[in-house]
Amino acid sequence: MPNSDSAFHPSTQDELAQFVATNAASERRPLISIGGGTSAPKCSAENGIEVCLDQLNRVIDFPARDMTITVEAGVRIADLTQILKAENQRLPIDIPQANQATLGGVIASNWSGPRRYGCGTMRDYVIGISAIDATGRQFKAGGRVVKNVAGYDLCKLLVGSHGTLAIITQVTLKLRPCLETSSLVWMAFDSLKQIDAAIARVLNGATRPIAIEVLNPIATRAVRPLAAAASLPILCVGFEGATKETQWQAETLINECCPFEPRSVETLSGSDADPLWAALTDFPIKNSSRTFKVNRLPSQTIELMQRATDLGISAKGHAGNGIIWGHYPSGSSSTFLLEGTSEPRLWEELGSSGDWMRRVKQQLDPQNLLKPGCLPIG
Amino acid sequence: MTLAPPKSPAESAAATKLINRLREIVGEDGLLYRTEELLVYECDGYTVEKKVPDVVVFPTSTDQVVAIVKLCNELDVPFIPRGAGTSLAGGTLPIGGGVMITLTRMKQIIEVNLRDRYAVCEPGLVNLHLTNHLKETGYHYAPDPSSQGACTIGGNVATNSGGPHTLKYGVTVNHVLGVEAVMPDGSIAQFGGPCEDSHGYDLTGLFVGSEGTFGICTKVWVRLTRNPESYRTLLGVFETVAAATQAISAIIGAGIVPAALEMMDQGIIGALEAAFHFGFPLDAGAVLLIEVDGLEVAVEDEAVRIEDLCLQHGAREVRRARSAKERLLLWKCRKQAFGAIGRLSPSYCTQDGVVPRTKLPEILEFITDCGKRHGLRIVNVFHAGDGNIHPILLFDERDAEQVQRVLLASDEILTKCLDLGGSVTGEHGIGVEKISFMNKLFAPADLAVMKQLRDVFNPDNRCSPGKMLPTAGGCGTESHPHKSHPGRRAAL
Ligand SMILES: Cc1cc2nc3c(=O)[nH]c(=O)nc-3n(C[C@H](O)[C@H](O)[C@H](O)COP(=O)(O)OP(=O)(O)OC[C@H]3O[C@@H](n4cnc5c(N)ncnc54)[C@H](O)[C@@H]3O)c2cc1C
Ligand SMILES: Cc1cc2nc3c(=O)[nH]c(=O)nc-3n(C[C@H](O)[C@H](O)[C@H](O)COP(=O)(O)OP(=O)(O)OC[C@H]3O[C@@H](n4cnc5c(N)ncnc54)[C@H](O)[C@@H]3O)c2cc1C
Repeated sequence: MPNSDSAFHPSTQDELAQFVATNAASERRPLISIGGGTSAPKCSAENGIEVCLDQLNRVIDFPARDMTITVEAGVRIADLTQILKAENQRLPIDIPQANQATLGGVIASNWSGPRRYGCGTMRDYVIGISAIDATGRQFKAGGRVVKNVAGYDLCKLLVGSHGTLAIITQVTLKLRPCLETSSLVWMAFDSLKQIDAAIARVLNGATRPIAIEVLNPIATRAVRPLAAAASLPILCVGFEGATKETQWQAETLINECCPFEPRSVETLSGSDADPLWAALTDFPIKNSSRTFKVNRLPSQTIELMQRATDLGISAKGHAGNGIIWGHYPSGSSSTFLLEGTSEPRLWEELGSSGDWMRRVKQQLDPQNLLKPGCLPIG
Repeated sequence: MTLAPPKSPAESAAATKLINRLREIVGEDGLLYRTEELLVYECDGYTVEKKVPDVVVFPTSTDQVVAIVKLCNELDVPFIPRGAGTSLAGGTLPIGGGVMITLTRMKQIIEVNLRDRYAVCEPGLVNLHLTNHLKETGYHYAPDPSSQGACTIGGNVATNSGGPHTLKYGVTVNHVLGVEAVMPDGSIAQFGGPCEDSHGYDLTGLFVGSEGTFGICTKVWVRLTRNPESYRTLLGVFETVAAATQAISAIIGAGIVPAALEMMDQGIIGALEAAFHFGFPLDAGAVLLIEVDGLEVAVEDEAVRIEDLCLQHGAREVRRARSAKERLLLWKCRKQAFGAIGRLSPSYCTQDGVVPRTKLPEILEFITDCGKRHGLRIVNVFHAGDGNIHPILLFDERDAEQVQRVLLASDEILTKCLDLGGSVTGEHGIGVEKISFMNKLFAPADLAVMKQLRDVFNPDNRCSPGKMLPTAGGCGTESHPHKSHPGRRAAL
């Protein structure tokens, strides 16, 4: 039973299922899934109950030699990372506030960071999922093996569903081995335009980056305030692998970028690179003012970042993916300075697929109990 | 060979009307309806069950697909999409007859955008044609099913195909950015597109692998992958299958993710050698085909580590492909392994179970025993790195008693995969073949949610009926395979 009127911390999946079933049959209060609670609630339903998964944090099975793990969704990312590291394995998704954030929250919000260019996103790692629907029904999809096409892929449906379709209770992940080392090449340029040209070269160059990050000068100051040339736009490229391999790539990349006249070049490797990886990962959350995320074609990243820069907006792009994060300056009054950064608020704004999404939601949650009024959007 | 049962006058009139209306949409040369023409379409790569559609149409545009689907709704006839018909699970079996919509004339590459790493193509495009088209660009389309010379991108999307190189690069869904589909109600939908992280639910991911039950894919946005700078392709020769599986565990356990890690047992090696004269060791118990790819600075070290691990785990020798030509020949042997089976037997049935990698020794031993018990010859060639087995059961389809033993042995093998914590299909799909396993794999609640989703997209179940999800109640419905499929009825 709820330990307070507005928050419920189940200690088992069955207990949660029962609670949800009782709610659906009686009071029908809105249910808001909460993992670590690191993302500011976007919508608060009147009379809602927070379903907190922090106690559902058991490791169900870790057959390390199969490189998969099955855990409950409330496991903290930092704990998961430790468990995996003991077997020299990892989930290569960059997550801020790992001490607090939970696996379920990361999956529900489809969070990702710089490594997504080389390592992909959550949808590439979730191979099995268990969840509870709005009526308390427990269901699962996928399985515990790395390759499996039996049944509809509800894993994909729940990744990025933001708690609007079901409460994720248990997950099986496909894992990757830890690599020997990583490095980041940090290059300052006079203009974003030069960075655009450099990127075009890098994309067809000899190296195989796992991260291609671009920062405008305002973002640079937030990410690395003490770096030289902190007032210039930055191209920051990451590599992972054997030491010999990352060294060779860093050197090769720098040579390839030379013709575009970087003002300064710095390579951080191994543990020296870790703080910068963390700063790049944390950028989206490193500001209390309004944050936005937009998706474009990769080749359109720089143009959007230039417009942000002209407007004094801090912006950082995963330039290989076309994902741009930004923060409006605090106190800015106009609703959306930068065209195209406002989030859809209605299903109709989600293009031709919005109507199908609405129907999926209606079908799986006809009473509209799971985060009512929220679109599955971060 | 199965002939359609004779039609009643009313049925004939309805069929004539259907054909006349379809002719208005696709023209006479976009249409097949004579009994002898339809026979080609009575089955796909899964030959155990057969059924002819009433008519096969070959649309050339999305608009034509829309018109066909709307017509099927109007006349209340089932319809089913088909690509190249290489499904090994009976995915294209037209349960209840109706209209087979074959997409092989929609095979354009609409756009290639290297800067943004994607291509847009029509569903009937042959997988290999995309990669061939990209030859000089330094990019390729990563999912490489062994059937890639024939199978279509649309079929790959529908079945979420894998291939040898999916160990490192992932399966089809990891490379599909978006799909356009004609939905079962005849509307056109686009899920995803060229940009990543489109807002809302990942309906692209849900559509991929839905085996034609959510609609007809008419356009696909696929991710392109850079070609690796270098390869090392190794052939580890082992006395026994058990030793080879130990080596697999050791390689993966050492933190190496090869691009591909395939196993071939003695039975298949013999057939391959007879077909390709590569110089495979005929007395070996098993060979591992292992490829690492990446940067030249890294691959050599990895290859050496793999060689050491193989030798430590009882490899008799580890050979290397010495040239690009030799590498291609090795891969040709692997990818045409099924083709070589014709030398061993008139018919074969390939299973597609998956086990956790560490359970490979157990399942392979079980398969050997199972073959002995049923008096069947079974050979193995499979994606060992993923734990995705492909036991190939050899038989003669003219011998009904043998067919029955094949079905029994297949059932036992797949059940064992489940007992070992695995799945009944890693890449070929449920189709009709494995539909009876869905109840073993999933609880009623799981299937109920899946059915709810099908009801969203395909509420009348007119699009690919009888696929993927078992029918509630089991028997009594027309779409039940035992009733509607003379092939299986004869076999059982
Ligand atoms: C200051 C700050 C702001 C952020 N803003 C956003 C943002 O606006 N949008 C965004 O997507 N991410 C945002 N994030 C990132 C988000 O916190 C990360 O994805 C984080 O890793 C999620 O983990 P969590 O456990 O804290 O999730 P929570 O913050 O608890 O939840 C994140 C989302 O997932 C849902 N959810 C959580 N657990 C489950 C579950 N088990 N089953 C189903 N649904 C579940 C929640 O309802 C919510 O929609 C922000 C992070 C910070 C620190
Ligand atoms: C020799 C051989 C080797 C094989 N090797 C592999 C392998 O390595 N990996 C692997 O994954 N598979 C393999 N297969 C299986 C098969 O090739 C794949 O399943 C392939 O994706 C099927 O493509 P197709 O174009 O032949 O589709 P079809 O067989 O025509 O259809 C397959 C399914 O997809 C549906 N479908 C087809 N087109 C569409 C569309 N446009 N929209 C919606 N649904 C559609 C059909 O209804 C059916 O359910 C192999 C098959 C053979 C014969």
